[in-house]
Amino acid sequence: MKNALSIHWKYCFLLMSLLFSAAVISQNQPSEKKPEIKELNEVLVNNNTVEKSKKEESLNVETVNNSFIQRNLGGSLMQSLQRLPGVKTISIGSGGSKPLIRGLSFNQVIVVENGLKHEGQQWGADHGLEIDQYAVNRVEIIKGPSSFIYGSDAVGGAVNIKPLPLPSQNTFGGSVDITGKSNNAQFGSSLNLFGRNKNWFFDSRVTTMDYGDYRVPADRVYVYSYEVPLYKNHLRNTAGRELDFHLSTGYSGEKLKSVFYFSNVYTKSGFFANAHGLEPRNVDTELHDKSSRDILMPYQQVNHLKVSNTASFNWGNHGFETQIGFQKNFRREWSHYVNHGYMPPVYPEDMYAPQDLERQYDKDVWSFSAKDEFRIKRHEITVGTNVVTQENAIGGWSFLIPAFTQFNAGLFAYDKVELNDKWFLHGAVRYDYGKINMKSYYDWFESPVSENNQTQMEYLQRSEDLTKTFNSFSWSAGVNYNPGNLSLKANLGSGFRMPIAKELASNGVNYHYFRFEKGNPNLDAERSYQLDLGIEWQQQNWTFQLTPFANYFPNFIYLNPTSALDVYYGAGNQVFEYEQSKVFRYGAELQTRYYFLKSLSAEIAAEYLYSEQKSGSKKGYTLPFSPPPSVLFGLNYEPQIRFLKESYFAVDYRITGKQDHIVPPEKKTEESHVFNLAFGTKIKTGKQDISLSFQIQNLFNTKYLNHTSFYRLIELPEAGRNIIVSMKIPFSVSR
Amino acid sequence: MKKIPFLLGVFALAIISSCSGDNAEIDTEYPVIDISAADAFPIQCSTIERGQTFTFKAKFNDNAELGSYSLDIHHNFDHHTHSTEVNTCETDAVKTPVKPMLFINNYTIPSGVKSYEATAQIAIPADVDPGDYHFMIRLTDKEGWQTLKGLSIKIL
Repeated sequence: MKNALSIHWKYCFLLMSLLFSAAVISQNQPSEKKPEIKELNEVLVNNNTVEKSKKEESLNVETVNNSFIQRNLGGSLMQSLQRLPGVKTISIGSGGSKPLIRGLSFNQVIVVENGLKHEGQQWGADHGLEIDQYAVNRVEIIKGPSSFIYGSDAVGGAVNIKPLPLPSQNTFGGSVDITGKSNNAQFGSSLNLFGRNKNWFFDSRVTTMDYGDYRVPADRVYVYSYEVPLYKNHLRNTAGRELDFHLSTGYSGEKLKSVFYFSNVYTKSGFFANAHGLEPRNVDTELHDKSSRDILMPYQQVNHLKVSNTASFNWGNHGFETQIGFQKNFRREWSHYVNHGYMPPVYPEDMYAPQDLERQYDKDVWSFSAKDEFRIKRHEITVGTNVVTQENAIGGWSFLIPAFTQFNAGLFAYDKVELNDKWFLHGAVRYDYGKINMKSYYDWFESPVSENNQTQMEYLQRSEDLTKTFNSFSWSAGVNYNPGNLSLKANLGSGFRMPIAKELASNGVNYHYFRFEKGNPNLDAERSYQLDLGIEWQQQNWTFQLTPFANYFPNFIYLNPTSALDVYYGAGNQVFEYEQSKVFRYGAELQTRYYFLKSLSAEIAAEYLYSEQKSGSKKGYTLPFSPPPSVLFGLNYEPQIRFLKESYFAVDYRITGKQDHIVPPEKKTEESHVFNLAFGTKIKTGKQDISLSFQIQNLFNTKYLNHTSFYRLIELPEAGRNIIVSMKIPFSVSR
Repeated sequence: MKKIPFLLGVFALAIISSCSGDNAEIDTEYPVIDISAADAFPIQCSTIERGQTFTFKAKFNDNAELGSYSLDIHHNFDHHTHSTEVNTCETDAVKTPVKPMLFINNYTIPSGVKSYEATAQIAIPADVDPGDYHFMIRLTDKEGWQTLKGLSIKIL
């Protein structure tokens, strides 16, 4: 305990000394910082636009573009973004991860791609976000409740993947991306082709990825108390593949723009073979260790299809936009049949599901939205509505959540007032309605039930027909003040989230964590109130940004580990039950960069988060997956070299504090020190520049655990040294 | 310009006040399953005879308060599981189950105790498949920390 406190204070001290030193170096040392220009061929998105919108936005927003992603390329989009303070991931293996924004994730953070809310199986930690990071041009991350824009689920934040900029007129070209990674022997490639005459355009992409088992700096790991030897440091069966297609096409005129988006993202990836099922398992090591690239059982296949159209047109003072979309998420988990509870020891021949299909989720989502933006004097007003309906079917021989249908509709109005060029005011209100309809499910096998000393065999009912409706009113109010180099912002807002089917009605085993999860049909919609502040200082050689926040949930939905054990389906496993508790959280992120020379700069990025449950059976405990405090020190050198452009050489040193604030079944995580190296350049070749980037992640092959990794509970260390090489070769056929 | 250090100071104060934490003691310790006593049963590689009743015996401890426990006997004819114990036991050849023994039960522990001598009578039916089995003990404490013990046993 004493040690924990001293670490805690160490970080507080660090944060404070940073503030102090930041105050001391506020001297002017003029050096020209060139505005970075991002381009998709001729289309320019200037960084100044981003800076400007940041100053006019009262929520805390971080914007990054594809060159940031290429420089920090990780195994998945979120892993590439986690260099940003306040942004972490819940990763599974080397190829998948879920966003974790200021400690909140799953259905508390939404992901929007091309204006469409991404609907996968957000609740699951065991698979990644179905997004192709090569197809991402610009991402906005909102750290805080943004329910008033996006509706239910955006209580924790939003990751908004912006539509690609349109190709400029009369062009035809493309690019090839090639990536290689040493740790999991990954090879990735992505081919892009685009073209446009005056008004009609298309932009297409094919991405493939193929990787082997990833390697860790350990020759054995301990899954709970079970010792598992690793063959050549490989985490058995964590290989995977990915194949993605994208096409956007449409018409862009002066008054009207209409774009069709089509994408299909498919992944197949293995689970660490020794830790799946009802208990840690022995596996056929000879079979598994024969190849580090094969994907054996247990594994999953996820396919995400998206089709949408966004149309916008101007009429007088008004800018209208409509969007209609369809998504289909199809996920299957394959695993050898293991009878548990009172399932028959041998799989019946006449079963409705294939013997190895443990689980199947099939989600269809239709959505429609419309909005109108207009100006009245100093007011910039947006009003809009959206309607979403989804249908979820289940399959496979095991049961966790029932099939369900869901309907959501919302109505919102947002007003941004420009008082003068220094002051901006924001106000938003939103009303939401939601209805969820869960279906009944009975076991396919009989279990003995004892009543009055009589034992009978019965098909147990795991879920009942149940309909729940929710209404919610959310609001947000903010202010921006930008006197010169300084900009200040404050925002107070509320967010809400409708409970999901898993929280209301799950009743089965989570095979990854060896636990029995039980829903609670009496849950209320989750509410959140958050105060966000922002202070930013910008001058030529020095930038500084501090973003503290305080957040209160009167009824946070929490999966509570109980002392009970389930004797039926759970085969004696521990019961986890959904409950609601009061939760108070606060934290801050700090970013500062100082230019010693035009070409040499140092950066510090730090984050701190504290969460505490203020009521309920885990009063005094934190929330699961609480990221520990961390500080990143970066040094960046950008020399001018002949024949080369935008060369950079960067070292990052990340100190992650130890996490002592845990809740069952988590374990305390030790602090870690990890170095990353990155360098790259653009080679001038005619009109187009070939860009090259290199990274060495975990330079010293340090063995450490990541508190927010999916595999943390079973003590799997993070990936060892990883050398990443990526190259982008653009070409233009004609213009 | 001069306002900056002042503002930074304000934020520093905010951080200091937020850092002056309040941590009330919370339980972060797992309960313990102790089968080291001479009369503990079963232990790793124990054998049990069909048609007989045996007595499970183990000692449970927790720093705060014990929760409950469950016992589970299931077949290991496919050698799917290994145990939590260091030493391994001799196993029969892999075989397909016909009528394997299946036992799952949970047990309460009186509330408020930190230490508990658990005993339970378990009858082995005479007609079950003999062979390698797995004996699982799952113990929770009141806060929801869980400890597992997996033992390899043989039914003769």
